[in-house]
Amino acid sequence: MLIAQAIIDGILVGGFYALMAAGLTLVFGVMDIVNFAQGALVVLGAYLSYALSVHLNIDPFLSLLITVPATSLLGVAIYWVLIKPIKRDRVVMSLLVMFAVATLIEGILDWVFKSNLVQVHASYVNKSFQLGRLNFPAIYLYAFALSVGLLALLYTLIYRSRFGRSLRASMQNPVAARMVGINTDRVSAITLGIGIGLAAAGGMVFGTTNAFNAASSYDLISRLLVIVILGGFGSISGALVAALLMLVIQDVVAVVWSPVWGQTTFYLVLVVVLLLRPQGLFGRRAVRAQ
Amino acid sequence: MSVLTVEEVRKSYGGVQALRGCTMAFAEGAVNGLIGPNGSGKTTLFNVMTGYERPDAGRVLLRGRDMTQATPDAVFAAGVGRTFQLTRIFPRLTVLENVHVAAQRRGLLGQLRRWTSGAEHERALEALDFVGLTRLSREPAGSLSYGQQKLLEFAFIMVASPSVMLLDEPAGGVNPTLLRHLAGRIKALNAQGVTFVIVEHDMEFVMGICDQVSVMHNGAALMEGSPEKVRSDPAVLDAYLGTDVSAAEA
Repeated sequence: MLIAQAIIDGILVGGFYALMAAGLTLVFGVMDIVNFAQGALVVLGAYLSYALSVHLNIDPFLSLLITVPATSLLGVAIYWVLIKPIKRDRVVMSLLVMFAVATLIEGILDWVFKSNLVQVHASYVNKSFQLGRLNFPAIYLYAFALSVGLLALLYTLIYRSRFGRSLRASMQNPVAARMVGINTDRVSAITLGIGIGLAAAGGMVFGTTNAFNAASSYDLISRLLVIVILGGFGSISGALVAALLMLVIQDVVAVVWSPVWGQTTFYLVLVVVLLLRPQGLFGRRAVRAQ
Repeated sequence: MSVLTVEEVRKSYGGVQALRGCTMAFAEGAVNGLIGPNGSGKTTLFNVMTGYERPDAGRVLLRGRDMTQATPDAVFAAGVGRTFQLTRIFPRLTVLENVHVAAQRRGLLGQLRRWTSGAEHERALEALDFVGLTRLSREPAGSLSYGQQKLLEFAFIMVASPSVMLLDEPAGGVNPTLLRHLAGRIKALNAQGVTFVIVEHDMEFVMGICDQVSVMHNGAALMEGSPEKVRSDPAVLDAYLGTDVSAAEA
């Protein structure tokens, strides 16, 4: 029964890790940059929901109506102000820019909120549902439903809209995309906005299920990178499967063996998969057509 | 009348001067050839004319309108489509989706529309039919042969109804049967008023299809004229063979 509970917990938590990782892998797929600021942006989203909850008494889920558009606009601004002007070594310089953004966000959050651990509260955070001997924490269920909804929306946007077709074209061959008149700068800016908006949504869930401070971003970005590398950089479905797989394995190992090994297994699985399949579970050896 | 004009265009990469004050004009409604030895600057000139490279100096004019600083998507929107030496397609989209991407309306509002309109779909099917790829429309574009990918690239440029098409080595790596098919399509579109500028090393193809030919050498225009005139010009032979043919004959 403990193992069944661990599997359920792993799936529920894996759902919102998939949400945060989807933003990271989407940005890499279109722009070829690893958004090192994703962890800090998740924590920013958590703090925004926390501030709205504490000061304006806004429900964490409702706060997404404010935080997601606001952080999406921040993403668009980051692209136009910091990334687009880079003329040389754009991929490498973008990494440094996003690292600088992460450091800046962390510094500001630490200055504003201090380093005390906080958590986003709502009436249902400590409630849970029972099904036989299985326990379903309400916040995890709601968060999982939110993740499924947002990922379905993302899927519809990517595979059932003109913008999504332009986005996929830009991912596969940016030169050809420009050749047929796609404004790849605009696609990149909107993609970064979507990626960071997803980080904010994940941040709200992270903030309601964990005590956090500005430094929490380091653990988050390492975990998100593991998920994205395991799923295959640029693959959204890969990120989804990898998130569920990693969190389930971690939780099962934690129950069967020990919580310490649960954490370690997270990274051991990555090493094993990369040895057997270096491009990740769903990655392609040549992501871009030449 | 000239449709595309470049005036005194210069472009350097480090210490290498790819274009050295190149001035050239391409006639409206014609099939224009652009030839020259390897490294003469043809592809760089294409890149400058289509917004992929900014010239260090000089101007690019499209029917008198200054396009020197235009981005590739703006050049495309102005009615200039181009292909590359190596095919540029979307390998994991289907053949039909490739053409849909090119057919769909631009602009933010156009992007927010849900899916392909009936008119856009019809145009995409017509383009595929035009190049003979209809039966492969549901296949991933990456599974096509190189020659078929060239035809697909041609289709997804023409579906946007450009008034000028710049083709960079369309004959490269294409088998003779597909090449004849491609030549036929170029002639058919030209008869409908589309202007072509074609960079090509296959002289038989160039001389057979072009109304006039411009020659580049060392990053500048060497001469222009009818295919017959260019073929027999000693300066062109010098440029290609690297010897002073006229002096040798004397």
